[in-house]
Amino acid sequence: MRAWPLILVSICVLPFIVRPAIAAEIWIFAIFGLGLNLLLGYTGLLSFGQSTFFGSAAYVAGYLLKHYAIGVFPALGIGIAVGGLSALLVGYLCVQRSGLYFIMLTFALNQLFYFIAYQWTSVTGGEDGMPGVPRPAFLGVDFRDPMAYYLFVSALFALSLWLMQRIVQSPLGKILQGIRENEVRAEAVGYHAPRFKLLAFVIGGAFSGLAGVLYAMLFGIVPLEAISFVTSGNVVFATLIGGSGSLYGPIIGSFVFIWLSESMSVVWARWPLLLGVAFIIVVLFFRGGVVEAWNRIWRFSRQRA
Amino acid sequence: MLYALMGLGLSLITGVLNIPNFAHGALFAVGAYFLVSVVGLLGNFWLGLLVAPLGVALLGLLIEWAGVRRLYAAGHDYQLLFTFGLALILNELIIVIWGPVGLSHLPPALLRGGVDLGFTFYPKYRLFVMVMAGLLVVATWLFLEKTRYGAIMRAGIENKEMVSLLGIDIHRLFTVAFALGAYLAGIAGALTAPIRGLSPGMGVDMLGIAFVVVALGGLGNLLGAIAAGLLIGIAQAVVAAYWTEASTVVIFAVMALVLLVRPQGMFGIR
Repeated sequence: MRAWPLILVSICVLPFIVRPAIAAEIWIFAIFGLGLNLLLGYTGLLSFGQSTFFGSAAYVAGYLLKHYAIGVFPALGIGIAVGGLSALLVGYLCVQRSGLYFIMLTFALNQLFYFIAYQWTSVTGGEDGMPGVPRPAFLGVDFRDPMAYYLFVSALFALSLWLMQRIVQSPLGKILQGIRENEVRAEAVGYHAPRFKLLAFVIGGAFSGLAGVLYAMLFGIVPLEAISFVTSGNVVFATLIGGSGSLYGPIIGSFVFIWLSESMSVVWARWPLLLGVAFIIVVLFFRGGVVEAWNRIWRFSRQRA
Repeated sequence: MLYALMGLGLSLITGVLNIPNFAHGALFAVGAYFLVSVVGLLGNFWLGLLVAPLGVALLGLLIEWAGVRRLYAAGHDYQLLFTFGLALILNELIIVIWGPVGLSHLPPALLRGGVDLGFTFYPKYRLFVMVMAGLLVVATWLFLEKTRYGAIMRAGIENKEMVSLLGIDIHRLFTVAFALGAYLAGIAGALTAPIRGLSPGMGVDMLGIAFVVVALGGLGNLLGAIAAGLLIGIAQAVVAAYWTEASTVVIFAVMALVLLVRPQGMFGIR
């Protein structure tokens, strides 16, 4: 709770530091990260296929926005539904396995969706992406104005964060954490672990779907990368760099990640190379992420005082 | 058969080291590009086929020694991030060194053209790849089943603590397994180069397939990897004949179907 003032201040200040589009991208990515973190941080499931839900929602909602001129809120609703539904399908196959198999399955199914998007060019545009996704106005508010859209995204982010906080603190959240800590014991107490994992998948997928639609409307295009494994990897990276153990980890990670990639992509077209190097440095030297590093510094300074 | 080879290498690495190796596809691509460079340098395909995979194995050795070794105690999430970062680096290095445009590479003169098999006409080189891949799979199988070190490696898949308690240098075992897996990926890449041509994205495409093979066949399960590799290879070929666009999707669809019926994979126990 103590982080709320800080978040509100950042929402107000951010668009004046970076372009509103990038500021909006940060919050969108944070929503995406919140969804993943429910799986990764709270349930202990490392899903490497989150872009399946992100991309599917972006494509479906984007297509309907473009060809059937649906409104903003129906689009968001559809995106959330598509995200949750695709997560239900993928999750059903994945939750029955654990460990390495689980990771590989989420990735392989991600590839399945990726290749469908890649080949189905009449709808998705294949490698060129699906351009021309509009941002319809709502109640006279013109979302084509970057600032208006930014505020809209921020409000949805705040709503998502509040919702995720409620979920994590609810009995359901406690059960998921119980499964993470000791699956056998959770089963013994009477919770059918696969069912709860699946539930976590669907909730995480719904958040990813919301992020996917917002992303499509932000840039007016659904690029093929939106559903590729690179996006899945990026959100895992952002969450880990922020610290997967905390509710706010993915938010911090999203800041760092978008900032890193935006600044590096200007420097060099081959910036994923630098990104790869950054991944490795983090893994070898900064495990635990920013939140963990901050906690350590804080504890250290407390001891000294 | 190539799929079986890829799956086998990945299966070894994931099975013995217990890490998700997302760089496996990149190693495959590096093998293909190494082949082109070595052949360009020495002008001999056979030498290239010998040297390129060894180069990849060396790279694997280096990777294990410099990075993966420090991560056995870390969670899968960090291992994944590490190998994923590695895959990004290798992929981008390929673009930097060999350019973003795909290359094509001709098979050696000896293997150009086709042979008449009586019922069908088949390109010689593809036949050669099939035989080579088959031989390699058999050789790997013999190594794992019939030699002392192979037995140690299989024991390492089963129970690492026990193996190291018996006085075997488990770290050296890990390094060897990683290098061997990398070698198999590299030679699969080198063999593929003349059939499919080269592109920076080839590694990622193959990575997904290798994961499917392992998911279906079971970690460290040699026969499982071979059977799964053949199954999806055949499925892909059959679908490609009728509906070309769907030939990649079908690999993953087959996997989803098999897992619906048997969540533990075709031969899996876990």
